[in-house]
Amino acid sequence: MPTLPTTISTNAGLLLRYLPAVLAVGLIAYAIVAGGHFVTLAGFALIYAVFVTGLNIFMGYAGQASFGQNAFAAIGGYASAVLTATYGWPPIPALIVGAAGAALCAVVIGYPTLRLRGHYLAMATLAIGLIVYEVTVQWQSVTQGYMGISGIPPLGIGSWEVTSDRAQLIMLSIVVTLCMASAWLIRNSRFGRAIVALSGSEDAARALGVDVARYKLAAFVVSAVYASLAGSLFVHIVGFVSPEVFGMHMVILGFTMLYVGGIGTITGPLVGAIVINLLPETFRGLKDYQDLVYGAALILLLIYAPGGLASLGNALKRRPSTPIPATAPKGARP
Amino acid sequence: MFDLAYFSQTLVNGLSVGCIYGLIGIGFCVIYNASGIVNFAQGAFVMLGGMITYVLLTTLHLPMIVAGSIAIIVVALLGVLIERIVVRPLWDRNATMFVMILATLAVQIVIERTTLILVGDQPKSIPVFTDLPPIRIGGVSIGYQTLWIIGVSLVLIALLALFFQKTLVGRAMRACSINREAAALQGIPVSRMLALSFALSAALGAIAGILLTPTQFTAFNVGTPFAISGFIAAIVGGFGRPFGAFLGGIALGLAQALAVFGLGSGLKNVAALSVLLIFLFLRPSGILGAAK
Repeated sequence: MPTLPTTISTNAGLLLRYLPAVLAVGLIAYAIVAGGHFVTLAGFALIYAVFVTGLNIFMGYAGQASFGQNAFAAIGGYASAVLTATYGWPPIPALIVGAAGAALCAVVIGYPTLRLRGHYLAMATLAIGLIVYEVTVQWQSVTQGYMGISGIPPLGIGSWEVTSDRAQLIMLSIVVTLCMASAWLIRNSRFGRAIVALSGSEDAARALGVDVARYKLAAFVVSAVYASLAGSLFVHIVGFVSPEVFGMHMVILGFTMLYVGGIGTITGPLVGAIVINLLPETFRGLKDYQDLVYGAALILLLIYAPGGLASLGNALKRRPSTPIPATAPKGARP
Repeated sequence: MFDLAYFSQTLVNGLSVGCIYGLIGIGFCVIYNASGIVNFAQGAFVMLGGMITYVLLTTLHLPMIVAGSIAIIVVALLGVLIERIVVRPLWDRNATMFVMILATLAVQIVIERTTLILVGDQPKSIPVFTDLPPIRIGGVSIGYQTLWIIGVSLVLIALLALFFQKTLVGRAMRACSINREAAALQGIPVSRMLALSFALSAALGAIAGILLTPTQFTAFNVGTPFAISGFIAAIVGGFGRPFGAFLGGIALGLAQALAVFGLGSGLKNVAALSVLLIFLFLRPSGILGAAK
C-alpha cells in the first residue's frame, strides 16, 4: 500500500472510500460493452463475489472462521452438474436442490463444529473441506472422479437459455446485485445485529439475550447457501466440473479477496473479487504463479493492511498506530 | 475371510507411518507451547525435507547422510525465516489467532507453489537408507526403512525428553509454555524461544519427511495431508503434550491402517479426518487430557 499524505481532506477520504466500489462496477460495465476475453474474467470475478459475500457474512459479521467453505461450493456445484447433465433436470430446480443440500449439510456439520473455538474450529472446518474433496474424487459412480463431468447445460428457464457471454455476464451482475442487497438486508436486520454483537463478545451478546449457538449456526447456513449458489453458477457458466475446481485454493483465493476488498463491508467482497480476478491478468495464463502471488499478497495484506482497500478512506482520517482488528471491524458501516 | 498375515502387515505399516505423524504432531506442540500459535505450514517442512534431500542427491550426488543433514539445516533455517518475516510482524501487531492461522496457511501455499515451479509436479523418491531385502517374520515382511523410521523416532523422542528435562534451553522453553510473562520476568528471552521453537519444529518435520520419502514419494502437494495428520495426532494426544502427540500419531497410524484393511485404501484420508472430527466433538482435550 502506498503511503498516503495525512493532509488530504475528509472529502477525498470519502471519495477514496467509495472509489473501489465505483471502479468495480465500472469494470463490469466495461466488460459487458467490450466483450471478448474480458467477459470471462469478469464472469469469474462475479461468481467469486457471491462466494466471498457468503464468507463475509460468517467471518466479517459473525466473526467466526471457516476454512471449509469450498465444501459447500462443491456440494452446490456437483448437485447442479449431476442433476442437469446426468439426470436431465432443468437448472433452476437443480440449483435449489443443491442449495438446500448445502444448507442441510451446514446444519449437520455446524451443530457439533460451531461449539468449537479457535484452532479447533479452524481445523474442523478445514477437515470438512478436505473430506468433501476426497469424496468427489472417490465417489466415481456419481462424480466421475478426476475426469469430472462435462456437458453441463447453461442456466435458463424452460427453452430460454442464457448462452451468449454478454447475457451470462448481465445475469451474473443481477445475481451479484441481489446477493449484495440480501447481504445488506441481513446486516441491517435483527439477525445481522445479533451476529455482529456476538462477534464482538459472545458473553455480552448472550447477556443481551442473543441465542449465540443458534445465531452462529444460522450464519453458517446462510454462508453455505451463498457458497452453494456460487458453485452452481460456476458449473453452469463453465459447463464442466472436476474436484480441483473446489479445492483448497478456492479457500485461499476467497480469503485473499475478502481481505483485499475489506472484511466486514458490503461492497468488499465484490471489490476484492474484481481486483483479484482482473488486475493481475498478467498472471492468468500461469496458474502456478497465480497461487504463489495470491499467497504472498495475502500475507502482506494480513500484516500491513488488515482492513483492505475499503479501509483506505479510514486510513486517511486517522492513521492508527495499532491496526484495526482484522476480524469484524465493528465501526464499519454498510 | 480374515487374513492374519495381511492384517499384521497392515498394522506394521500403520505403526511406521504413525511414528511419522507423531513427529509432525510434536512439531505442532513445540511451536504451540512456545507461542500459542498453531502453525498450519507444518506440512511444508515435511515436504521440503524429502524434496531438498532428493534435489541434493540427484544434482550434487552427495551421500545420503550429508544430503539429509543439509536438508534438515536448511529447513530449520527456513522455519526461523518464516518466524521472522511472517509470524513476528503479526505477533507484534497482536493479530488475532485466526489471522495467524490464515497467514501460516498462506505460507504453506507459497512454499508449495514455489516448489512446484522449481522442481515440477512429478512425484519424486529417494533410495532407502539400507538396501537389503526385508526381514520376514511369519508372513509379515518388515522393510529396513520401517526399522529406520521407528528407530530414529524413538531416538528423537529420547533426545527431546533429555533436551526438555536437562538442558537450560529446553527448560526455558518449557517455562515459556507454562507462563510466558513469568518466564520473561525470570530473564528468559521469550522471543528468541519462539524463533528456536520454529527451528526445532521445522527440523522435526524435515526429519519426518526424509524418513518417509523412501517408502512413499514426495511431491509439492504432499504437505497439507501430513500437516492434518500431525495435527490430528497432536489433538488425540492432548494439544501441547509432545509425547502425547507421539502416542496420538501411532494411534492414528494404526486407525488408518485398520480403515485401509477394512474399507480399502481410497478412504484412508477420510478415515483420518473422521477420527479428527470424532475427537473434536467428543473429547477435544485428547486421550490424556489437555496440557496445562
